[in-house]
Amino acid sequence: MKIVFTPDWFLNNDILIGVVSFMVLFLFFLFAVKSYTLNKKKSILYLGIGFLLIALGELSTILTKLILYYDSGIIQEIGQAVITSQIVNTVDIFYYVGFFFNRFLTLLGLYLIYMIPSSRKRSIDFFFKTYLIFIVALLSHNLYYFYHLTALILLVLIINNYYKVYRKEKIINTKILIAAFSLLAISQAIFLFSKLNYLYVTAQSIQLVSYIILFALIIKILKNGKKTKQDGHNA
Amino acid sequence: MHDMLKITREKGGKIKKTHLMYKANLSHKQMKSYLDELIKNKLFESKSSGNRHLICITKKGQNFSVKYTQIKEFERTFGL
Repeated sequence: MKIVFTPDWFLNNDILIGVVSFMVLFLFFLFAVKSYTLNKKKSILYLGIGFLLIALGELSTILTKLILYYDSGIIQEIGQAVITSQIVNTVDIFYYVGFFFNRFLTLLGLYLIYMIPSSRKRSIDFFFKTYLIFIVALLSHNLYYFYHLTALILLVLIINNYYKVYRKEKIINTKILIAAFSLLAISQAIFLFSKLNYLYVTAQSIQLVSYIILFALIIKILKNGKKTKQDGHNA
Repeated sequence: MHDMLKITREKGGKIKKTHLMYKANLSHKQMKSYLDELIKNKLFESKSSGNRHLICITKKGQNFSVKYTQIKEFERTFGL
């Protein structure tokens, strides 16, 4: 069974995209924690945890892919067929666990971000839905599109939440946020057909653009904080 | 209280007490109470030059104001 759909010429680029995604997501986590230390708002903390979970999911993929792409050297060095076979089995389990963590943590993170506006309703319901996410992540090993479809649904729900915020507040930053999440949703929709190499690369590239937009958003927020009205408008 | 820091920053870091009170829309009692708190926390300092009594924002106050503005904008972006 094919573990990843990355074409050979794109092998290192997808790891690089993963690293960029991880860094941006971790930056959002740090910003949320910084906010929480100042205002003790639980919703901000949940947002931060959501981003952290997705970041850890990315990290899990990066590490798994690094070993997947570069493990042949380790096997050759050992040189004995029996030991090689045992290592291949161990590596198989490693890939399985690595990609499982990626799917589970990403879906859980997205679900947490989606749930924030209705955080008061969080209770046993949350544990049940976490269990469902666990099942989806587990099943997605054989049915890869199951994961991408679930991620797509969660992203559409998140976009809907932010669209409501935008309609109420009319903040440009929220518009940028919607654009970034929309691109992420589009990338998940394309990943559904990632058996076709060029569509996998397209989806990865769109994902990179969405994380660059999120990075630009953080830079914009940091710059605006330093401005005073004499330099320009703060909002 | 952040409004007081922000207004002072916008005025180049120093402002007259009366101007600050007017711009922050505070009563004299509120102004005194907040100002004491901000000076106690070393976010503001009181300076006199001749007959003029000025309120100046400290480096710590500036950093706090920048951080607070960034965090508020972050929260607003996500509708939190």
